[in-house]
Amino acid sequence: MRRPSAWGVVAYVALVLYAVISLYPFAWMVSAAFKDRLEVLEGGHLIPARPTLATLADTWSRLHFFDYFLNSLQVTGLTVLGVLVIYSLAGYAFAMVEFPGRRFVFWFFVALLFVPSITVLLPLTILENRLGLLGTHAGLILPFVNGTAPLAVLMLTAAFRAVPRDLHDAATADGAGELRIFWRVYLPLARPTLITIGVLTAVPTWNEYVLTRVSLNDESRYTLPLALERLASGTVPSYNEIMAGSLILVVPVIVLFLALQRYFVNGLSGAVKN
Amino acid sequence: MTTTETPLAARLVTQPRRSAGARRARARRALVGYAFIAPAVVLFLVLGLYTIVYSFGLSFAKWNGFSPTWEWVGLQNYRDILYADPRLAPEMRNAALNTGIAMVAVSAGTVLIALPLATLLNSITRLRGTLRSVFFLPYVTAGIAVYYAWRYVLEPDGAVNLALRSVGLGSLARPQGFLADPDTALPTLIVIMIWGSVPVAMLLYLAGLQAIDPAVMEAAALDGAGAVRRLRHITWPLLVPITVAIVLLGLRDTMQGFQIFLIMTNGGPAGHTDVLGLKAYQQAFFQSLSPTLGVASALGWLIFVLALLLAVANARALRGQR
Repeated sequence: MRRPSAWGVVAYVALVLYAVISLYPFAWMVSAAFKDRLEVLEGGHLIPARPTLATLADTWSRLHFFDYFLNSLQVTGLTVLGVLVIYSLAGYAFAMVEFPGRRFVFWFFVALLFVPSITVLLPLTILENRLGLLGTHAGLILPFVNGTAPLAVLMLTAAFRAVPRDLHDAATADGAGELRIFWRVYLPLARPTLITIGVLTAVPTWNEYVLTRVSLNDESRYTLPLALERLASGTVPSYNEIMAGSLILVVPVIVLFLALQRYFVNGLSGAVKN
Repeated sequence: MTTTETPLAARLVTQPRRSAGARRARARRALVGYAFIAPAVVLFLVLGLYTIVYSFGLSFAKWNGFSPTWEWVGLQNYRDILYADPRLAPEMRNAALNTGIAMVAVSAGTVLIALPLATLLNSITRLRGTLRSVFFLPYVTAGIAVYYAWRYVLEPDGAVNLALRSVGLGSLARPQGFLADPDTALPTLIVIMIWGSVPVAMLLYLAGLQAIDPAVMEAAALDGAGAVRRLRHITWPLLVPITVAIVLLGLRDTMQGFQIFLIMTNGGPAGHTDVLGLKAYQQAFFQSLSPTLGVASALGWLIFVLALLLAVANARALRGQR
């Protein structure tokens, strides 16, 4: 009985070591966010000697991170809402309604998965510029929604297909129309999938930086990633403020992840398997 | 396949003739179907298909984004990128080389860390959930905030250098900082990318390992199969498709993702961390009035073609296993 426990100790040591590596940059992020301007320059020690909340408070209010936080919340929230509404309708049609060209359109959506975002980034901004969308939040939300199409269509079509067909037939016999069956019967049954897609959409949208950077000019519309970049590219960037801003950006996704971890983990392994 | 074997006469008998009412009902259902997919399709046609076609057209032209017309140049942009332009082509070759190195190193590194990690995690019971959550943080937070945190610890006087000096490994420390040193910039970014892609790979391996029926393992052990044979004949065959998926995912993400390069080094020092995606981005958005939008589109399409080749390889690899 000695050998398994020795093996167990080795396993735990290795796992804890990797946990430390996983947490390493976050530890220093937190550390710097609680230091003042002078102490962060000294560097070298993880635990702040004079811990202060002033840096975080300052970043939150004087540097307007509260406003940027609200902007991020708006963009992410509307993107998730758009994805869930548009693709649950489409997924339901692909799974339950017969119409000519169904398979063709379905595979078209899936094929979109293979288009790298860099290929369409430039024409997208040119198009949005013409439509007057460039620089607005709608100009971010619409492409974010469209970018989630392959994943959302695949997962929701599969989820609706998994519902026993009898339910549909029974509801039809009772005289319910498709929209009503969709809304009352199928959507509630697909709740776990909807939450999974919501989380898988929210996290990358919250962190998105590339399209946001080439789109937004007006500072009052900045999302957190862009505000952070502005803060870091200032004339005298100070790492305690940058790390405080980073912390403000990172904490909401971590909270979301911990709260909905189950959906996240299931969805991710399911999504990759497909 | 049975219908093709049924005699024609039989089929005519069994197939009910459609009444006008049934046809109308079918048309109605089709309309309902189109109404349900309409929002998704409209969004796709405008933001997806239109932009793809537009970028394909633009890849055969020269344009600076402001002048009223495109100047058609045929395949010139592609030729410039691949060999013709004496300034652009070497830059692109360098970026392609860096991209290739990163693709291979990130995929291999991810597998080498994630597989042992998942195996260890699967062998323990206490703390398994907590550790899995911790291991997952790099994935959830992937983006600008974490890249700045890495930049912070990799500074000349940052935590990594200080830690190396304090444990007597001062010779490994980089006085210029890891990202400004030409020898360490790309390897450092590769390590951070591996750090970011281990969580998903670990999760997939963990799911695979947990799918193995313990009863099968026990039966094999009773039949006299040793640990090595069980690993080879039961565990490994299950892990091969997962490994293929992880490697291809790593290749794809590393080829297309340039965000980390943009934020952490912007290609520097002196092109040592230039990658194809970053080049396309710079050609598209940071050349002010030079007519480089065609080159940017052509480069985007070359990346697209590489992505398609990877997807085909993916499909073949998966089919080969069945």
